[in-house]
Amino acid sequence: MERGLSCGGAGQHQKEYEIKCSGCVGWSLPYRALVNTKLVHNEMSQADQQSVDAVAMIGIAKAFGGVAALEHVDFSVQKGEIHALLGGNGAGKSTILKMLSGVHKPDKGEIWINRIKLEEHTPEAARRLGIAMIFQEMSLIPSLSVAQNIFLTREPKGAIGMLDDRAALKESRVLLEKIGVNLDPRRRVDSLSSGQRQLTEIAKALSQQASVLIMDEPTSTLSSAEIDHMFEFLDRLKKSHASIIYVSHRMEEIRRISDRVTVIRNGRNVMTKAVAETTLDQIVEEIVGRRVGAFERKARIAKQGEEVLRCVKVTAKPRPIEASLTVRAGEIVGIAGLMGSGRTSLAKSIFGLQPVTSGEIRLKEKVVKIGAPSEAVEAGIAMIPEDRLTQGLVLHHSVADNMSLPVIDRNSRFGFVEEAKEKALVAQYINQLRVKTASPQKPVRTLSGGNAQKVVLAKWMATDPLLLILDEPTAGVDIGSKTEIVEIVRKFADRGRAVLVISSEPAELLALSDRILVMAGGRVVREIKSEEIDGWAASSTDTAHRISLMETGLQVAIQEANA
Amino acid sequence: MNAKVEVIPGKSEDFVSRLKQEWRQYVIYVGFIVIFIFFSLTLSDKGFLDPNNLLNIVRQTAMIAVMAVAMTFVLSCGEIDLAVGAVAGLVSVTTAMSLAKFGLVGGIFGGLLTGVVVGSVNGLLTTRVGIPSFLVTLAMMGIARGSAMWISNTAAIPILDKTYYFSFGSGNIGPVPILLVWALVIAFIGHIALRKTTFGRKVLATGGSETAARFTGIKTHNIKLQVLIISSVAAAIAGMLYAGRLRSGRFQLGEGDELSVIAAAVLGGTSLFGGSGSVIGSIVGALMIGLINNGLILMGLEFSQQLIARGVIIVLAVMVARSRK
Repeated sequence: MERGLSCGGAGQHQKEYEIKCSGCVGWSLPYRALVNTKLVHNEMSQADQQSVDAVAMIGIAKAFGGVAALEHVDFSVQKGEIHALLGGNGAGKSTILKMLSGVHKPDKGEIWINRIKLEEHTPEAARRLGIAMIFQEMSLIPSLSVAQNIFLTREPKGAIGMLDDRAALKESRVLLEKIGVNLDPRRRVDSLSSGQRQLTEIAKALSQQASVLIMDEPTSTLSSAEIDHMFEFLDRLKKSHASIIYVSHRMEEIRRISDRVTVIRNGRNVMTKAVAETTLDQIVEEIVGRRVGAFERKARIAKQGEEVLRCVKVTAKPRPIEASLTVRAGEIVGIAGLMGSGRTSLAKSIFGLQPVTSGEIRLKEKVVKIGAPSEAVEAGIAMIPEDRLTQGLVLHHSVADNMSLPVIDRNSRFGFVEEAKEKALVAQYINQLRVKTASPQKPVRTLSGGNAQKVVLAKWMATDPLLLILDEPTAGVDIGSKTEIVEIVRKFADRGRAVLVISSEPAELLALSDRILVMAGGRVVREIKSEEIDGWAASSTDTAHRISLMETGLQVAIQEANA
Repeated sequence: MNAKVEVIPGKSEDFVSRLKQEWRQYVIYVGFIVIFIFFSLTLSDKGFLDPNNLLNIVRQTAMIAVMAVAMTFVLSCGEIDLAVGAVAGLVSVTTAMSLAKFGLVGGIFGGLLTGVVVGSVNGLLTTRVGIPSFLVTLAMMGIARGSAMWISNTAAIPILDKTYYFSFGSGNIGPVPILLVWALVIAFIGHIALRKTTFGRKVLATGGSETAARFTGIKTHNIKLQVLIISSVAAAIAGMLYAGRLRSGRFQLGEGDELSVIAAAVLGGTSLFGGSGSVIGSIVGALMIGLINNGLILMGLEFSQQLIARGVIIVLAVMVARSRK
């Protein structure tokens, strides 16, 4: 862990000053030792000393509004290495990446890129030093061609300073051929597949002399053939001494492609190891950690009633594929899976946001055809979308207006809203869900994430649906509100309602669900019953340990489903 | 070796797929020819094909065309300028007034300065204060028109400078109306600027995806500011041409032009949502609107009927040109 700080074998440095490490051959980065920092020359292998770090982040700390996101993180990437960066949601991965790409400035610590210290924390400065972040289609202009995008702002020019698109085309062809990408540079970016767009982004980055590529979940939108192609390509890049920081939740990919792996948990680097020296279980365990104070899995008194929802081989384009499931009254069913596994698409198909091409959906044993969300609401289905701020709420409207919107017809007579009735309803929900707002008339955008989510819950629970679908119900919500939301959903199910929960947070799924379905590649591939979940934790009686055992079990199940 | 072999069949395939994708961009040219032939056949006895009539169409559309060239840039970078018509009116007045006071150079300078000032205000409010250009220019429309009425006391201000009205609007070089020369020169400059300069590429990138453009290092705010200034300066030139053609500055000039200008650009294949645009398309779009106006008048339709017919034709044309996806 302290590798980044080790230096010179001098033992102790008491003062702040610049040190050139003379002991290590490869590590000749000058760096600023902090006052009274004890520097220990640790036993680096000869190979380690020979290798050159393309990226060295030393003692990085960062807090947002008093909340520490990173605490003293050391992280280094060698030249010609594919380094996987892993961690759960909110562990601090993306903060590291944003720091490296110059979006955030570290509160403490320093960043070295190709032996030059990043002094100015802007995206431009980071890019000048060779960092390129491959965003999901973020940095391409859809209406321009591949060649025009590659050379944007650096266009080759002709005799009288006019753009020479032909030269750009020719150079793009050479470039694409050199990196082995078979793509016509004349094509407009909006006509490309996601894989081709990513390759274009990489080509653009490489043409700007990038030496460190940051890739965040690059395969989530790719087909398996495209993934193979991408991996071959990354392998070739690596051999030409480029460094790649690779973020993914798919352990199989990590094992396949990366040389080393670093796990971040709770803002700290908890593991950096060669992939060959570690196991899947070990990595997952480090990601999950031993959580104390997280939500518990409580056994629900199963008073399950009749079947509310049954999906029979529901298929839509491009996902889900022949997904079948049932949810009974009073039951909470969780859906686990990686990004792009079809979880959200399945929910969208049930809710009428995405046309079902084959298979059937039954509500209370009757086949229903749901072509639009309005029909779903009428049939008694409510869905709380993933992106609640844009899809679930009218942000500048008041808490009260948002809560009463879905039942506005029920609370009005002759087209006039019955204010007394509405007020009573709003007051009831604010009270019941403990929404922290100064007044029901405050706009929703003044609320915290957790409270906004409670308003969304209230909004839909007011319609008293038969089936409630929740997509990432606690994403971006503080831990206190999380437990409250879990409690609210449980109580709702206790009233004999059916609930379907989609989440990428294992802890949340485990805390909520009676059963968990695992999806992969658009299909429901596995059902995990309550007994099996309890079985994972059978070896322990300690609550916190039981939770991490269950999380590990679920993570492994998800990984197996994708293998 | 292998890769090269693959590229060659890719080319011809690509041509077909490109044609499939992009034929709508060229539909305006086909539409223009179809409408032209239609009027030639049905209105030949009413003098449609008379060279004087055709030159009149050009004279009537030159100002729209000049403004449409700039509007192509505005729309391409994802903004809009609703004030162009009103600015043209205001500039016709300021030009006439400064001509009377300071002579030829002063007059031209006065007109252009008005455009630069208005454009800068539009651009700064849009990019620095963050008010959408739709609102800024809507407000500016009223301010410009009102100012024109105020400073002219709602009266026409005559222009007596011969050189001025010859070179701005009334003159002919041989058989060619000077207005056509203006429109062609500005169209040429606009076309080159959009297609062949880094500025044009940055405009398209800004409109195509502002985040991506900013990430690539383009100062999108500056681009938008510049584009809004260009638009007002083009409107100023149009106003000066109006003034030259009518030998006077009047606040009413250019009224309603903003709609014709935007319609011309959209007809020509410029996206209302930014990211793609064609100056030549806009010119042809402007000519098409002039053509339709002229044809409808020759058909003997009343003004009320002309308005309806023009509206329907524009909607139809835009529908065909835009119904992608």
